[in-house]
Parts: sequence; C-alpha cells; structure tokens
Amino acid sequence: MEGKSYQRFPKVKIREMKDDYLKFELRETDASMANALRRVMIAEVPTIAIDLVEIEVNSSVLNDEFIAHRLGLVPLTSERAMSMRFSRDCDACDGDGQCEFCSVEFHLRAKCHSDQTLDVTSKDLYSSDHTVVPVDFSDSAGYDSSENRGIIIVKLRRGQELRLRAIARKGIGKDHAKWSPAATVTFMYEPDIRINEELMDTLTFEEKRNWVDSSPTKVFDIDPNTHQVVVVDPEAYTYDEEVIKKADAMGKHGLVDITAKEDSFIFTVESTGAIKASQLLLNAIEVLKQKLDAVRLSDDTVEADDQFGELGAHMRGG
Amino acid sequence: MTMKSVPEKENEDLRELFRHHIESFDHMVSEGLETMLLRVKPVKVYDSSTGKTLNISLENPEVHQPLKESRVGDLLLPFECRQAKISYSGKFTADVCFQYDKGAVIREKISLGSLPIMLKSKFCNLRGASPQKLVFYREESSEMGGYFILNGLERVVRLVIAPKRNYPMSLVRGTYLNLREGYTDKAVSIRCVREDQSSVTVRLYYLNNGSARLGFWIKGREYLLPVGIVLKALIDTTDREIYASLTCCYSDKYEKGKGAVGTQLVGERAQIILDEARYLSLFTQRQCLEHIGEHFQSIMDGLENESYSSVADAVFKDYIFVHLDNNYDKFNLLIFMVQKLFSLIDQTSVPDNPDSLQNQEVLLPGHLITIYLKEKVEDWLNKFKSLIQDQINDKSKNFDLCSLADVKKVMDKNPARNIGLAVENMLKTGRIVTRSGLDLQQRAGFTVQAERLNYLRFLSHFRAVHRGASAAALRTTSVRKLLPESWGFLCPVHTPDGDPCGLLNHMTCTCRITSYLDSQGNTKDFFDIRKSILSVLIEVGMSPSLPKLVHAGLPEMLSVLLDGRVVGYLSSSEIEKVVAHLRRLKVSSAPGIPDDLEVGYVPLSMGGAYPGLYLSTSPARLVRPVRNISIPSMDGQDIELIGPFEQVFMEIRCPDGGDGGRRQSFPATHEEIHPTGMLSVVANLTPWSDHNQSPRNMYQCQMAKQTMAFSSQAIHFRADQKLYHLQTPQSPIVRTSAYTKYNIDEYPTGTNAIVAVLAYTGYDMEDAMILNKSSVDRGMFHGQIYQTETIDLSDGSKRSDRSEGMFRRSTLDKSVHSSIDSDGLPYVGQMIKPDEPYCSIYNKVTSKIRTVTRKGSEPGIVDYVAVDVKNKTDIQKVNIRFRQPRNPVIGDKFSSRHGQKGVCSQLWPDIDMPFSGATGMRPDLIINPHAFPSRMTIAMLLESIAAKGGSLHGKYVDATPFASSAKKANGETVPEPSSVDKANGETESNPNSLVDELGKMLRQKGFNYHGVEVLYSGVYGTELKCEIFMGPVYYQRLRHMVSDKFQVRSTGTVDQVTRQPIKGRKRGGGVRFGEMERDSMLAHGAAYLLHDRLHTCSDRHIADVCTLCGNILTTSLVRPQKPRDVGGLPPRGSKKVTCHFCQSSKGMETVAMPYVFRYLAAELAAMNIKMTLKVSNGAGA
Repeated sequence: MEGKSYQRFPKVKIREMKDDYLKFELRETDASMANALRRVMIAEVPTIAIDLVEIEVNSSVLNDEFIAHRLGLVPLTSERAMSMRFSRDCDACDGDGQCEFCSVEFHLRAKCHSDQTLDVTSKDLYSSDHTVVPVDFSDSAGYDSSENRGIIIVKLRRGQELRLRAIARKGIGKDHAKWSPAATVTFMYEPDIRINEELMDTLTFEEKRNWVDSSPTKVFDIDPNTHQVVVVDPEAYTYDEEVIKKADAMGKHGLVDITAKEDSFIFTVESTGAIKASQLLLNAIEVLKQKLDAVRLSDDTVEADDQFGELGAHMRGG
Repeated sequence: MTMKSVPEKENEDLRELFRHHIESFDHMVSEGLETMLLRVKPVKVYDSSTGKTLNISLENPEVHQPLKESRVGDLLLPFECRQAKISYSGKFTADVCFQYDKGAVIREKISLGSLPIMLKSKFCNLRGASPQKLVFYREESSEMGGYFILNGLERVVRLVIAPKRNYPMSLVRGTYLNLREGYTDKAVSIRCVREDQSSVTVRLYYLNNGSARLGFWIKGREYLLPVGIVLKALIDTTDREIYASLTCCYSDKYEKGKGAVGTQLVGERAQIILDEARYLSLFTQRQCLEHIGEHFQSIMDGLENESYSSVADAVFKDYIFVHLDNNYDKFNLLIFMVQKLFSLIDQTSVPDNPDSLQNQEVLLPGHLITIYLKEKVEDWLNKFKSLIQDQINDKSKNFDLCSLADVKKVMDKNPARNIGLAVENMLKTGRIVTRSGLDLQQRAGFTVQAERLNYLRFLSHFRAVHRGASAAALRTTSVRKLLPESWGFLCPVHTPDGDPCGLLNHMTCTCRITSYLDSQGNTKDFFDIRKSILSVLIEVGMSPSLPKLVHAGLPEMLSVLLDGRVVGYLSSSEIEKVVAHLRRLKVSSAPGIPDDLEVGYVPLSMGGAYPGLYLSTSPARLVRPVRNISIPSMDGQDIELIGPFEQVFMEIRCPDGGDGGRRQSFPATHEEIHPTGMLSVVANLTPWSDHNQSPRNMYQCQMAKQTMAFSSQAIHFRADQKLYHLQTPQSPIVRTSAYTKYNIDEYPTGTNAIVAVLAYTGYDMEDAMILNKSSVDRGMFHGQIYQTETIDLSDGSKRSDRSEGMFRRSTLDKSVHSSIDSDGLPYVGQMIKPDEPYCSIYNKVTSKIRTVTRKGSEPGIVDYVAVDVKNKTDIQKVNIRFRQPRNPVIGDKFSSRHGQKGVCSQLWPDIDMPFSGATGMRPDLIINPHAFPSRMTIAMLLESIAAKGGSLHGKYVDATPFASSAKKANGETVPEPSSVDKANGETESNPNSLVDELGKMLRQKGFNYHGVEVLYSGVYGTELKCEIFMGPVYYQRLRHMVSDKFQVRSTGTVDQVTRQPIKGRKRGGGVRFGEMERDSMLAHGAAYLLHDRLHTCSDRHIADVCTLCGNILTTSLVRPQKPRDVGGLPPRGSKKVTCHFCQSSKGMETVAMPYVFRYLAAELAAMNIKMTLKVSNGAGA
C-alpha cells in the first residue's frame, strides 16, 4: 500500500462553447468528481442577485413580496461575484450589506401615464455599478431587439406606480435558488456500445430496421449501402436499455453490449446568463479547490489524520 | 395567465349553472309576490257597535333596486355592501287596502321594509352588465350572482329536496301505526302546492277495517276525516256513483293479469267506506258538509260567524288538495288516491320510495322567500286585526273604526317593515321563525355562506342539493344511498364523505331546474299550457274526466294526471302512441307545449309502480337534456328535457354504440348526449376520471374544494374575513373539456409540477412528499392569506347617535408611532407582529386611548385600509386587510387531482435531488410509489405521461373522461371489437388505446414510451438502479397548513379549578395526553415518562397532610407572629403548618400529589364525605 497514489489527472475537452451553453468531456476521473463539479456549479458558484428591496411606492396589482421575489429572480451579470465579499463577512460595512465591496444598489421608478399597459421590465432597473446589470438576452437569442424589453416584473395600468430601491448581494445557490448561476448542469457516462456483428448479420433488413427504431433516440442507423447497423450517435443513448430489451424480445440475446465508461463523462452546462458558461466551469473548479483547501487546512483534518493515517495523508495532497 | 376578457356569450355555460337561483328570484319579484298577496285572505274587522266591517288586505307589491341611503338615486353596488358589511337590499313597498263593507277600496302605499336582492337578479344593479362594466363595478368579470349579500357576507339559499308536488305517493311507514288505534303503516300522501308555492300535505291512511282516513294538518295538529264523508261532501253524488268509481279498477276479466291493480276486496272496502258515512247518518252532501263544518268551526280563524257548510267549504279550499280549485277535480283525485291505496294494500303495486329522486323536487330560493313572506304578511294582518279589535273593545279609548286616521294610527303600532326584516333575518341565519312550519321538513339550515375559498367551492354552493336536515338525524342509511333514479341528475361522485355523505349531493353539469320562465325568458302561462296540453290529449283520444261518466279502470284505461289533476283516461293500447306524440310535440317546441313538460308514463306491470300517465309542467323539477333518437334528427332539434320521474320508465342508451344489454325487446328511444353529463362540474374537472378507482374521484371532488387557489380576480375590492390566494397558479396541461366550457382557467387551482415517483431518502414514506427547495425558492406554490379586520366604532354604542370613539393616535406615547400613522390607522405595507398594535382609538368622553393589537401567532402585512366616509366628521368604520405570506413549509398539504394527498416532509436541496442524465431535469416533487398499488389512480399515471408529451409538443392534452366511448358514437363506422379481440387485451389489439396515443407522443421526442427516465443520484452521481417514472402532474395546494395548526407548549396557562394545562390551540393550551397514550406508556414500561407527563408537567402539587387525622383540607399555614425584617431578607426558618382539626402541627408531612386530588377531597367534603390519607414512608410500606 505504501506509496500508492490515488492521484489522477482529469482531462477536460471542450466540445461546444457559447455564452450560455457549454458541452465538454471530462475524462480520467470518477463519478464523485463529476458529481461534485455538477453540485458546485448549481449550488455553490457565487452570483449576485437582488436580496433586499425597499419599496417606496407600490400601487401595482402585485403585492410587495411578490415584486421583491420577482426582482430577486432576475439574473444579474455576476462576473464580479468571485471577487466580491459576502455581506455577512464584509469588514467594510460591518455586514449590513451596503458597501461597494459586498453590494450593488438598484433603483426602479416606473409610473404609467397612458391608457396603454406599461410593462415594467428588468431594463427599468438602474444599477449603481455598470458591471452588475440585469442580463440582456436580446442579442444572444437572436430576437428582434426592439421588441425584447427584458424580463417583465410587473404591468402597470394608468395611474399605477412602482418606486423602489433594491440591494443586490453576493450569494450562492445553496441559500436560495436565485443565486444559482446554472439553469441546467448534467452529465452522462460515456457509453461504450459494441454490436455483436456476427449476431447482427443473422437479422433480416426488416428486423434490423425494427431493432434500430426501437430506441427512442437515434443511436443506431442502417448504412444505406452495406445494410449494416452502425452506431451513429452513441451519446444519444440514454441508458434506457430499450434496444437490449428489443434484442431479447427478438430472441437475439447479446446482440448489443452497452456499458458505461466509468471514468469519462459528458457534461452539459446551461447558464442563466449571470456568468458565462465557460466561466461557470472555471469558477466551479475554483470553488471546489477552495473547499478542498478548507478541508485540508481544518484542524479536524489534522486530527482525522492520526485516526485514518494513510487516508489523511492522501487528503493533504500526498 | 391570459388576461383576455371573456365575452358574454362564452360565459353562457357558466351562467346556466347559476340560472335556477336567479330565475326563481326573478319570478318572485316580478309576479310571484303579487300572486302571493292575492292569495292572502283579507282580514275582516267587525265593529259590533256600529255594525261596520273593515276589510284589510295588501296588494300591489313593489321591489326597488338597491339604492344608497345618503343621496337620492345613487346606486348601491354589491362591492360596497361587502366592504361596508351592510346588506344589499332594495325598498319593498305594497298597497294596504281598506274597504268598509262593500264600499270603495282605499289604498295606501306602505313600506314593508327592505328586501334583500339577489345579485344579478331583475332588480340588481349588476343585471345585464357586460364583463367590462362588471370590472368597473369592482366585480369579477364573470360574476354570476345568485346569492345575497347580508351584513357584508355572501349567503346562498341551499336547495333542499322536497317531495314531488301534486303527485300521490304511496308510502309505508311504521310511524303511521302509532297514529291511532286501527291504523296500518300504509298511506298515500300528496304534497299539494298552490300557485303561490305554499303547500299543504294531505295523507290518506289505510285502516285495518278496510276503510281509509284523510289526514291534513291545521296549525300543527293533524285532523283525520273518514274518506267517505269527504267524498260525499265534495260533490253532490250518490253512493252508487262513489261505489262505481272506486271499484272500476277491478274486473274479473283481468284478475292477476298485467296491470290489474284491483282485487275483489275493493268492492268490500268501498262498502265499508260508504257505511261509515251512513252510520253517522250522513246521507246527503249538505249533511256531510255540516258535519265537517261543525267540527272545524272552532279551529278555522275568522269563520266564527259563518254557517257550517261554508266552514267546510273553507276547509276544503284551504287544506284539502289546495292545488285544485274545483271540487269535482278534488273528488276525482281522491278516488284515484283511494284506488292507489287499495292497490298498495293488495300488493298489486309497490310503494313509492320517498328517498328516490323520482318522487322529489327541490325548494328554490324564490319559492322559499315567497312562502315565508306569505306567512309574515298573514301574521301582520292578523296582528293588525287584533290590535284594532283591542281598540274597539277598549271602550275607554275613543276609537272609531270608520275613521281611517284612527285605523292608520293603529297600523303604526304594527310596523310593516318587520316583514322585510323577517326575510332578511331568515336569509342571514337560514332559520325560519314560523308557527305552521310552512309544510317544510326543517326549520334551520336554509341558507349557507357562499365561501370563496376557491372558485370551485363557490360554484358548488349553487349546485348543491341537500336532502334536508331531518334526514341527517336519521340513523338509517337508506336516505344516503345512491339510487339509480338519480342517474344523470345528481353526481354519483361529488358528495362529501363523512357526516353529510349522500345527503349533500351536487347536480350534474347538465342538470337544470324548471322555472316559471321559458327558454325565451318569458313567464309561462300555466293556464294556457294546461289548456293546450288538454286539447292535445283529447285530440289523441283521451276521454275527459269531466262530464262524469262511469268508465273502465286499470288495466284497460289509464288515468291521466296533469299537475295532480285527473284530467281523463286513456286506453292502454293507445297510450304508448300518445306518449310518443307528446314527446314529439315537446321536442318540436309546439305552441303551448313547454319543452320541459314531464311525460311520466308508468306502464302496466305485474305489481310494479302504480300505472298512469303523470304529466307535470310545474317549476322546481330537475330536468336534463337527452337526445330523442326516435325523432329524425334535425340538427339539435332532437334534444329533449326529461325529469327523474319519467326517466325511470324510458329507454336511454349510452352513446357508446352498444345496446346497453337491452337487445331488441326494448329498443332505445333516447340517447345520452355525452357520458360526462352524469358528473358534476367539479367531478368533470378530474382528468380521465374513468381510469380511477371511484372513491379517489370522490376525494378529489372534496379536495378541489379546499384548494388554496386563485379565489377571486377582484381581490383588491373584497373584505372577506379570510381569503386564500395562490401567487402563481397555472393552467393544467392535461385538461378536460369542462375547463374550457366553464372558463376554469380564470380561476386556476394549481401548478404543473414535475413529479418523480420513487422512494428517495425515506422522507416520502406514508404519503409524505419531498419538495425541491429550489423550485419553492423560485415561487412554486407560493401563496398568501388575506385577513380583514373590521373595526366599527359605532357598533357598541347604539344608545347615542354620536359615537364616543374616533381613530387617533396618542401624541404622548411615541412607541406606537412606528406602526400607527397620525390618523390612528396602520401604514399600508407595514409588517405587524403578533400582539403589536395596529390601530388606535380615542374615546372622546373619557379621553382615553385604546389600541387594537394583532391576534394570532403570525405577523401580517397591512395590505389595504378602507375607511367608511358615511360619517362626515369622524371615520367610524374601517376595514384593515392583512396579508400573511404562506410559502410552502414542511407540514403543508398538497394533492394531485386524483385524490392523492400528501404532506410536505422536506424541502430538499436541488443538488441532492435525482437528475435526469439526458435533460438534467430535477423533479419539483417526489412521491412514493406505494401511493399507487392500493389506490389504483391510473389516471394520475396517465396524466403524468400525457402532460409530459403535451409539454414536449407544446399543446394541451384533452383528458375528458369516457372520451373513447363517446368517440365510437360519432364515427359509427368503427367496427365493434369482436370478442376475440377483447380477449387479447385492449392495449394490444386496439391501436386507438389511450396509452398508445400518449406513448407515441413521448417516443417522437426521444423519450421512453412508458414515461420513465434514467435518473442519477444527486448525492453520488451514480445511475439509479431503476428507471424512474417522471412527468408533470397538476398539483393543488390545500388550505390545511401547519402554520394554522401547530400546537406546542412547555408551560403555560392552567385551568383555574384543576390546575391542569388548558386545552385549545388559540389559548396556548396543551395537547391531551389521553388514556390511549397512557396505555401505551404503561405497555412500554416507561413509568418515569408517564409520571413526568401526568404529574410533574401537569398539576403537581405539594400538599401538607396531617398524619394524625389524615386530612389534607384542615391544614393551614401559620404566619410567624412578628415578621422580623432583617435587612430586606425574607424571614428565615421553615413555614409552620398546623392542623385545625388536631390543633397541632406535630404530624405535618408534605406529600406531592396532583392538585385535582385536593380538589376531589374538597368536593367530597362538600358532600359530607371525609377523605383520610394514611401516609407512610415508601420504603416501609
């Protein structure tokens, strides 16, 4: 056992990268690492979101809490978030969350003067910090920007007014979902699909077609020339085992063998727009590192060292 | 939610659900009251000194629309009544008519007080308002009315079942045996209803000796007359005629044949009936009338000076068969009833079931108010009369009957506005205050509050039909039974379980109630209708009953009864044709034949129901539309309205294309329009309810009505005491056709939640469910409770016009300034914590300031403050509405639409929830798979698959129940599945099966056919062993929330007498640790814990006991003579206790005991029982 290292060097290969979308491969690591990354991306990468709302005038049809809640869910550009402080451990403002290090102030003033309903949207939020503004979806999604006016907060009719001050703070998704930068993070094990060609050849074309169609997702296809079944998209496979069941039903047990590669994962990340998807991954790795550091440096770990000997050393990076 | 306004036309289906309430009220105010007043007998005052007679009557009632008191001509709007907690009522006036002898009538308009006006009725200010206008009036855009506003509360008159009017019903009841000696348990009963809706029930009892007695009620007493005397007194006839009429139903020819009701005993009985009259030596009509008149003169009012025969006439007119004016008709009906009674005795016909809908109708709001008003008017007139009579008799007063001014002065003593007030009180409390009982089965519970917990509950109040409070008290369950007769009229699913099960039913969505108004909204002329029906009948060969001829009886000829009047006889060979002809006329809307005419044809049978043709045109009957397939269809012209009475004898097939097992012998003449017509509106909202186990659908009907939903769109203008509100409701993806039909999307009741069915973490055991914390963070199931507190300063101090109080805050006490503004009222938007003041009242007389503090244990946010500005100087009345945020917490209750309720057990972190590898989705909600096998709510699984497919394809999925059977009817080309196919199982053989359709939708989008997905553990990131069923299900949040229910205490208030903790959550009491709990503690041997619960934490008490005499009551504390004050320290040394009985303190011991024990000793001592304690050391004992 002595000298055996558990250290591995995971590899990341980015397949597709957009502002709010990222698809990458993570290889040479195990599920715990992949899941930790997923969990951190969803719940522990900090962003900025409106947390305190001070309502001055609200004569809209929605009540104060409702509007405050809606404001909280508006994604704000949070590139600054990593460098910001949590308001609870901000020295500059004694944790009351009203200083430049830990908070950003917003103002919203809207009043409807016309007979037409006025949409109050995230664009009406005026930020005190130009780096922290409501996320603008207009260009990325390819909508007509003149029509897209941001996220609707409330609609006002003639004479109704909304005036408020809001303070955005840094936070993490664990505390409240509004701070979660990820819309979706998922990973799948890369499948390893082996077709038993010998057995496959015993099938008629019709049977092959039936078998290929038994998968709801398009994993297999038939080569139009050779009439051979080929794997077109292994990653479309959802481990639903439909094809295996189909093969068994056809009496061709072992027609195909599909196993999950235990050490390679395909990640899909969608961001809310608060952070770029690529940045989200980097931040997540950073947060994960910090967490590991925290474990390594805590006194409990040193104590645990003595108890667990070998394992403790490993945790300290041995 | 879409905010598009609903055009008036689209609400037509919804309006139909409320129509019976409004129509009955409309008829009452337009014509019903007038006919009622005409029917009220004028009172006669006779002054013996002058010999003058004064006739007093009321005429010409007028109801006015609700107006404001303050300014003339200002409309009073319902929303103002709700907020100001006043009643929505209009002025009610009538002309009082004075007539001296036969002189000219002197009229004077007097006020009868105010009459509560039903919303959206004829005199309501909202009548005919467009949705835009309704919104302008601060109402719902789809306000349907049908209820009253009394003291700001919305109350609706409950529909109560009443016996079918004007139909002789044969009954068997044990109570009749005890009536008097010689009575049997069999009778024929008829509830006769006059044109003004007042009714009198008459019963014909059978006696052991073969005779019968006619029983009727006068002023709470039943009077019984021998039927022979009544027959003879009614018309001038001979014994022979009576004998022939009675025995016509028997003939040797048909003995024991089909439809023969008479036996040879009939003749003997007829003999006895006639003999009875003869023994009393009553031979002629005159003698009989005088005999009756003699006995009833003392009972009947106002006929003291009339002749005996006119008294008897009055008895007949007012108490016997009051729905008929003609004595010949009464005679014929009585003959018919006697024959029916005899056939019941001879068991040639079966008794009618009074619990079956076949023999029932409903009591409508307009009718109830009319008959109640009638009695109040009569009471008023009688009181008026007796007051005048008193004045006349009191010689000391100078009263002149001839002076109208004097009479009017007396009238002022008898204010007529009490009449209107009585109605208002009746509607407020639901109780009728009456001497006679109005021929109703109950005295209370006629109105209920129309709660707007959510729209479905509100709507159900108008569709509910109650069996009557008298049935609730019965120990037997027969009244609660679901009988086949109620098919299509009452929903079999929508009834609560528990106490009111089967008594509180709901009408099906297609069920209507007949009214005085026809489909065009014109008042029906019943006289004309009956005339034209009669002429049609005679045309087709009915021999009329009136030139009186002796005729053949059953089974040759069937009696034809039109609204309880024997109009003639039809030959049994012709009758089927006549019935078909009548139905054809009914459907083709022939002039004079109403489309809701009930053609109750009871065919000849072997000892079945008593045969006859019973036609009915009356209001208050239940009707429902079916398709008449015996008439060639002319697009929509084949819809016939049928009633529960006729339905039983009709052949109605289901539109599934099958014959319903009736084969060729009884071909179907009618067809159901759609199978969903047998369900109520609420039951129709359950998707695919035909795939669920039936009790689950019942549970859903109940739970839909306790859902915290979008209760009102005009929530800002309402002042309900408690209003639940769901913040972000959604329209269900999987929906039945009823959702669109009744615009339920205007008031959605839940959220489409992604539900995964798996056992995860164990926190979903036993119907618990796990909510995704992030979903809740994002607003899922968020909601509020609105509570309105009304503070009325003028309320308590009625003695002075000027109230002493006003709203003002103290200038000295600055502590309240944070929550109370300078006007004494709270700031809007301010959070008020429990026991914090929110309102401050200044008393002008005592100059004291009182604050109102918030009750309860939860903080509330001031949402709205409304002030009443009627009083110009000071504000007297305010409504303060609080808003309590009620976001989901552990312990809140949720339910799907399939009777699957559950309690939130954890708000589970999103990252720990299982996730789908393909989509990355985490469920919003996890339920346990054990919720399904025993409950068999297959529709919930279908809903999940369908909603998943629907959301993938971006469209709604129709989940109307029985759609598959109805489909077959539309496309009749679909061949019947052969028996071989059926054996293979529906899913395999039938390509149109539901699951296949849904599965295909999933398949197209690359999902598993059965709706399962591969999920990965959120904690470990590894694949879960099993594929998980996951998809969106529409979930409702129920109003039961822990915040309203939790109860906890360590120490707190105790009972004064026993010193044990008090009960009650509101008062901070404890949870009872009862016998069962005690037993389980004992069984576990947890003695210490038991001692702790029942003694230490309860009423532990240290008592001093005198061991010499064993008393605990005689001990008393002796204070030291001189309390030496040593530097403020308490006096040292132990307290000294002595026994009064022994006069010593030698044997004093302290013993711990429950305080109630001391109390027991004291109670016993009060009864002169001495209790002695033998105290010994525990070890030595």
